Amino acid sequence: MAVPVEEAIAALSTFSLDDEQPEVQGPGVWVSTERGATDSPIEYSDVSAYRLSLSEDTKALNQLNILTQEGKEMASVLYTYRSCVKALPQLPDSMKQSQADLYLETYQVLDLEMSRLREIQRWQASASSKLAADMQRFSRPERRINGPTISHLWSMLKLLDVLVQLDHLKNAKASIPNDFSWYKRTFTQVSGQWQDTDSMREELDDLQIFLSTRWAILLNLHVEMFRVNNVEDILQVLIVFVVESLELDFALLFPERHILLRVLPVLVVLVTSSEKDSESLYKRVKINRLINIFKNDVVIPAFPDLHLSPAAILKELSTYFPKFSSQTRLLTLPAPHELPPREAQEYQRHYLIINHIGAIRAEHDDFTIRFASAMNQLLLLKSTDGSDVDWSKEVKGNMYDMIVEGFQLLSRWTARIWEQCAWKFSRPCKDASPSFSDYEKVVRYNYTAEERRGLVELVSYIKSVGSMMQRCDTLVAEALWETIHAEVQDFVQNTLASMLRTTFRKKKDLSRILSDMRTLSADWMANTNKSESELQSSHHGGEESRANIFYPRAVAPTAAQVHCLQFLIYEVVSGGNLRRPGGLFGNSGSEIPVNDLKQLETFFYKLGFFLHILDYSVTVATLTDLGFLWFREFYLESSRVIQFPIECSLPWMLVDCVLESPNSGLLESVLIPLDIYNDSAQQALVLLKQRFLYDEIEAEVDHCFDIFVSKLCETIFTYYKSWAASELLDPSFLFASDNAEKYSVQPIRLNMLLKMTRVKLLGRMINLRSLITERMNKVFRENIEFLFDRFECQDLCAIVEVEKLLDILKHSHELLSRDLSVDSFSLMLNEMQENISLVSFSSRLASQIWSEMQSDFLPNFILCNTTQRFIRSSKAVPVQKPSIPSAKPSFYCGTQDLNSAHQSFARLHSGFFGMPHMFSIVRLLGSRSLPWLIRALLDHISNKITLLEPMITGLQESLPKSIGLLPFDGGVTGCVRLVKEHLNWETKSELKAEVLHGIKEIGSVLYWMGLLDIVLREIDTKNFMQTAPWLGLLPGADGQILTTQDSGDSPVVSLFKSTAAAMVSYPGCPSPTSFHIMSKQAEAADLLYKANLNTGSVLEYALAFTSAALDKYCSKWSAAPKTGFIDITISKDFYRIYSGLQIGYLEESAEVSSNSHERLGDSVAWGGCTIIYLLGQQLHFELFDFSYQILNIAEVEAASVIQTHKNSHFAMQGWEVLLEAMKKARRLNNHVFSMLKARCPLEEKTACAIKQSGAPLHRIKFENTVSAFETLPQKGS
Amino acid sequence: MARAGGITNAVNVGIAVQADWENREFISHISLNVRRLFDFLVQFEATTKSKLASLNEKLDVLERRLELLEVQVANASANPSLFAT
Repeated sequence: MAVPVEEAIAALSTFSLDDEQPEVQGPGVWVSTERGATDSPIEYSDVSAYRLSLSEDTKALNQLNILTQEGKEMASVLYTYRSCVKALPQLPDSMKQSQADLYLETYQVLDLEMSRLREIQRWQASASSKLAADMQRFSRPERRINGPTISHLWSMLKLLDVLVQLDHLKNAKASIPNDFSWYKRTFTQVSGQWQDTDSMREELDDLQIFLSTRWAILLNLHVEMFRVNNVEDILQVLIVFVVESLELDFALLFPERHILLRVLPVLVVLVTSSEKDSESLYKRVKINRLINIFKNDVVIPAFPDLHLSPAAILKELSTYFPKFSSQTRLLTLPAPHELPPREAQEYQRHYLIINHIGAIRAEHDDFTIRFASAMNQLLLLKSTDGSDVDWSKEVKGNMYDMIVEGFQLLSRWTARIWEQCAWKFSRPCKDASPSFSDYEKVVRYNYTAEERRGLVELVSYIKSVGSMMQRCDTLVAEALWETIHAEVQDFVQNTLASMLRTTFRKKKDLSRILSDMRTLSADWMANTNKSESELQSSHHGGEESRANIFYPRAVAPTAAQVHCLQFLIYEVVSGGNLRRPGGLFGNSGSEIPVNDLKQLETFFYKLGFFLHILDYSVTVATLTDLGFLWFREFYLESSRVIQFPIECSLPWMLVDCVLESPNSGLLESVLIPLDIYNDSAQQALVLLKQRFLYDEIEAEVDHCFDIFVSKLCETIFTYYKSWAASELLDPSFLFASDNAEKYSVQPIRLNMLLKMTRVKLLGRMINLRSLITERMNKVFRENIEFLFDRFECQDLCAIVEVEKLLDILKHSHELLSRDLSVDSFSLMLNEMQENISLVSFSSRLASQIWSEMQSDFLPNFILCNTTQRFIRSSKAVPVQKPSIPSAKPSFYCGTQDLNSAHQSFARLHSGFFGMPHMFSIVRLLGSRSLPWLIRALLDHISNKITLLEPMITGLQESLPKSIGLLPFDGGVTGCVRLVKEHLNWETKSELKAEVLHGIKEIGSVLYWMGLLDIVLREIDTKNFMQTAPWLGLLPGADGQILTTQDSGDSPVVSLFKSTAAAMVSYPGCPSPTSFHIMSKQAEAADLLYKANLNTGSVLEYALAFTSAALDKYCSKWSAAPKTGFIDITISKDFYRIYSGLQIGYLEESAEVSSNSHERLGDSVAWGGCTIIYLLGQQLHFELFDFSYQILNIAEVEAASVIQTHKNSHFAMQGWEVLLEAMKKARRLNNHVFSMLKARCPLEEKTACAIKQSGAPLHRIKFENTVSAFETLPQKGS
Repeated sequence: MARAGGITNAVNVGIAVQADWENREFISHISLNVRRLFDFLVQFEATTKSKLASLNEKLDVLERRLELLEVQVANASANPSLFAT
């Protein structure tokens, strides 16, 4: 039938609805009506249309179904019942007078609860009597009404199951009698003033008896049933039906199977407790079959946290049903806790999922592949406008088979989880400490890590197969209907026709039933040609339908049709006689040949399964519902707590286990256990109808999800961090390392989770991706902050480590940015450096470096000129620093192994300050903050000079007016004594030390600048190499830069210009302006890069600055000779002071074993010589320095000594150490001077600066003056 | 023994059943298509949501960037003397 709607709907598929969302969650949206086909949506009211005289049966059936429904609600009330008594308030002594009011209030509160219990009591009484009456009516030997039908049998079993469950609940809930006794007490208190309380009291007593009697409902049912003594027949039929269904296990989904398992022991007890001889049961069903079933399933799930065991039920019931107690074979079955260890092991192997997970995995993989291929075939068929009937039938049939298989798989898997839970509940963990609560014993400590992982895997299989099947619901519906239609039609039109022709020809009444089956379900119009075959087939279809090819019709049979067909088949095989011995399809004494019987049986069970398939989405929902894993009402009650902590909650345990698990493959399933909460919330609202349970679940989910996100983020961060760290490890180290694989990081597929923008949780959609982004942004900032904090607690040498760690962080940011859009790293770094503002040039790092230099580095570090390193002086006063903050390994390099690897690299640089540190500083500060630091250091120099000035004046004052050359005749000893006489500074030793320190600091800064200069030069050169070819530059021979093209543009400009010209001249050029813009930009780049060339030298700059700063003191420290020629006796010049200081400390270092060199290092020479040099006193110093003079004298003396006494050194005895130190100092001073001459050529200018008169101009003004440095950013701005 | 079966007016029932099949074909067509429509809507919502989420993410990034720039500009223009030269 052409429906225009169909085209419209088909047009919808032209919309592209692809999103990037991976399917890592279970099905979330259920589109289904409340009642599916499994129980007829119109309560079998259409059955009467088939004129099968089933109206009585239908009525009874509906009644039972309603009762079952009510009973389930009662059961959920009982299951979720929580004790009120605990919540009742106690009156303090001061309020004793209002005790009566309290009683009244309490009574009213409890009355509400008790009225529910009363209702249950009333309901069970009526339900029992109705069930009993129903059984009696339909099991009379002289049959007056048709029935019971198979659906009717099922309804009886279901109601019985509900009654048994209620009974079980009532027995298990200890809080109910508790509350009741309280209620009764308040009643006696309250009812004192009431009139006419007798009836109420009676009712109360009734309820008390009901509540306190174990198995009251069952006993009541028993009484009702055997009021008239003829229900054994139907009970036997039920048992046969149950046993055969269980043994066949073909058409049963797990909920039905569990119902049958729960009911069977009770049925057996009921039958054997009757007056009659129970042997008749065993004639129909051998006792071994029963025992086998009981033994096979030693625990049966009943409620989420409560299981049943057939053996235990039988045993307990035997005390209430005396007749049954003779059934010793059934009573000797062991209950789960009585199992001998060997058997328990067997069962354990059977029940634990972990032992089957391999097979399940294979099943899952195989099934998903075949399902997907069947799905593809179906889509292909749809797109090809299939006219090939055979192919279409095959494809659809294949799809149908896949769906059936899928349902069976899901049913088996979910049943496994139920059963494993039941098993675990029946066997609490043995080696638990006594402090554990009962629930912890059965859940928290009862699953090993392996078992949890297995459970997660199985749950994710169930959910993923479920959502796969759920998604294609509307796609496969037609195919399913068509296939079922074809199966039914094939059976009634072909199989039944041939049966009618052959075996049933002679049997009038049986063949009438068969033709009835044809009448009520055959769709003759569906034959190939409707119009032709219509007349013939509707009248005598039997003859015509030899090889019917059906016109496919996408309509399934109704529940009523299935119901009637099943009934009729049952009629055929049983002959309508309940007492017929043998089983349902057991052939004994039947008139029907085995072959036909087999066909009937197969079709009979297929019919049962059709309904599940027609109820597609409901079935999928039932089979994938794992909400029971959360519920724990019984244990809550027995543990007397309001709720367990989430560590005990199985869903959270599974989430946690995935996060903690080393198996990174599981991480994709991490959202699956959260689906369990969705299921439980659904159950709480729809099935149990309890708001408070939902609230509890919601609270737990909120809590769990927060923890989940934070743990997940930690995992993600650690993963990316260690990935980055392992990539940044030195490859040569890895190559040489023996166990390099411990530094490699196992890949985790996180990108699936990072794409999740819609996590379905309790009906909410949560954008996990944005949550993760948010946290990642935060954690990156925290990490930067931590690194800075850490650096602030260490000395300057740690700068290399900081840079390394920041590099790792930056690299991990880069890796993460591929999957997630986090803030840019430079932005975060700027934010943490506190220099976001455009006008701030200092940064947290720069100020830290500066303050560190000021307070620790300059005073306490000494220079070693040979190694070009500063090291901490052993004499230095330790600086107080806050202790280093500690953090998780993920804030360093990710894992412990990587941390130690990187630390061992960092340790190499932690003891000194040298070139690598300077490189780090330059890279970290960049061109933005480096000038600020330079400025601060230069200021430091000029400050130091200002500070030194009065001290030096002090030293100058105590020098004699004139100091001549040292006389040679005194020898070394005489000279030294003479020098000491000149330098009468004994009273000023402190001043001396301070001046030395000041000079040392100036030297250190200058040397530091020298290092910086080298580093900047290197970087500049690198930049130059990269840009030179583009700018058309060539390095010349003497450091000059030559341009290759004498005129015109640089290569980069001309390249872009010519490209732009060529493109614009091409007629098809889409946007010529953009090329013009590009060539303009090339010109801009050219200008910018050219301007950056030749940035000059920091050291020269620093020297110029120092010289400018010295200008002020020039007159004080270097007296211009009046004559214009060198005055050799002048004593006030700076070089004299330095000379004195130098010899002083050389002497000290020669005398004391732990010399003062360790306190000052080589930078004193750098400072002193630089000042001397800049003051233009280098030549004076070299001529008149005390130590130089002493060295000269020593040389002469040595030469004369060698001449006179060949091999004795008596004259110089005692002075070797001092002389050696002096020689060293001279070498060092020479080195410094030569360096200064190279970098700050002063001499030529001095040489040129001789006046016309011939007098030398003492001091040259350098073109660089302090004012020139004002362009530098001000310190502290 | 009372046998079941025995449809009293088999021909009429047969005709009714036939008509029932045809009617139900129509009904199932309609209901299936309604369900498809519903499915489409559900999926449409989902897709839209994730597209909106990605748009939102981009806007978020832009917003943060803009905020930063605003702060920088405000900071700089609060002190115009720095740019005098």
